Amino acid sequence: MKIAALDAPRPRQFRAAEPVILFTVSRQSFAIAADAVQEIRSTDSIAGAAAEFHLEQVPKVRHTFQRGHRQYYVVNACTHFGLRISRPTLVLILRQLRAAVLVDRIERMTELSAIYDLPRAFSGEETRWYRGLAYLDDHVIPVCDPRGFLSPGEFRLLDDAPQSVAMQCELQGAASHE
Amino acid sequence: MSSAENAQRGSFVLLQLAEGRFALPADLVAELAPPVRLHSFPHTSRLLTGVILRRGRILPVYDAARALYGKGSLNHRFYLVARRRFGPTSEMSAIPVDGECELITSEMNPAPLTAPSYICGEINAGDGLIGVLDFDALVGSHPEGGGSADRVEPRP
Repeated sequence: MKIAALDAPRPRQFRAAEPVILFTVSRQSFAIAADAVQEIRSTDSIAGAAAEFHLEQVPKVRHTFQRGHRQYYVVNACTHFGLRISRPTLVLILRQLRAAVLVDRIERMTELSAIYDLPRAFSGEETRWYRGLAYLDDHVIPVCDPRGFLSPGEFRLLDDAPQSVAMQCELQGAASHE
Repeated sequence: MSSAENAQRGSFVLLQLAEGRFALPADLVAELAPPVRLHSFPHTSRLLTGVILRRGRILPVYDAARALYGKGSLNHRFYLVARRRFGPTSEMSAIPVDGECELITSEMNPAPLTAPSYICGEINAGDGLIGVLDFDALVGSHPEGGGSADRVEPRP
């Protein structure tokens, strides 16, 4: 048996550096691929357009808003990750998904040269939340999978909620008048 | 049959977990690592406290003391890096231990009938009988979270 020296993780495979956005939620850092985020807005800027929403089965969604004839659901990242509730100031509007994520702040943008697989010991919901782990500035940071914020089943529940159905009718009505 | 059961007469690593002393078959143990930085992030897997970096790998850290005694290690001084099996494959994992470990050679006797499922045998370590931990059974005896009534709160 031996005591080993310190070292950083060695990437199993090299790939082109991937631009990511580092953000914090309740003092915890996360990364998300930059191309998964369409827009970053302040919570104030969407407050007027957002409607309150409540569905017991999906408590992490408390607001919804309309954008380009589509209904977006706003996920509270604190609730999603089970972290202490903080005061989010920004909304990450995701690309290709009708979801937006409330976060505390953006740390910075950077590039990841490697994303390491989540160890197999992790077998809970985190396998859906994360694409893997990144090693950056002596920190291990989970890299979020944008599809992990709302599963297809959760989207179905949200879309079938009476509030959503009413909004979709409004959207269709608005579209037919244009 | 677990590798611990295969051990019979063999080498064992003695380790201190909170107030208990246990043995692990030496062939499962890779190294004793210093208490490097623990990196934690939200997850719902039971017994895991985060990950550490060792020898170019990201290793999950199991809080075995919490599994055994319901509380974390008292005086965590080292990480014991051991292999955990996942079917035909395995993964290196770290266990915080209190104090240094000792390598001994001994014969493993069957565990008493009253022993918990994660004790797969006993060895005589000179100053008394010590239970041989079945690491896989210990982890397996704590079902994972994942959305059911068993769901554990995510831990940062």
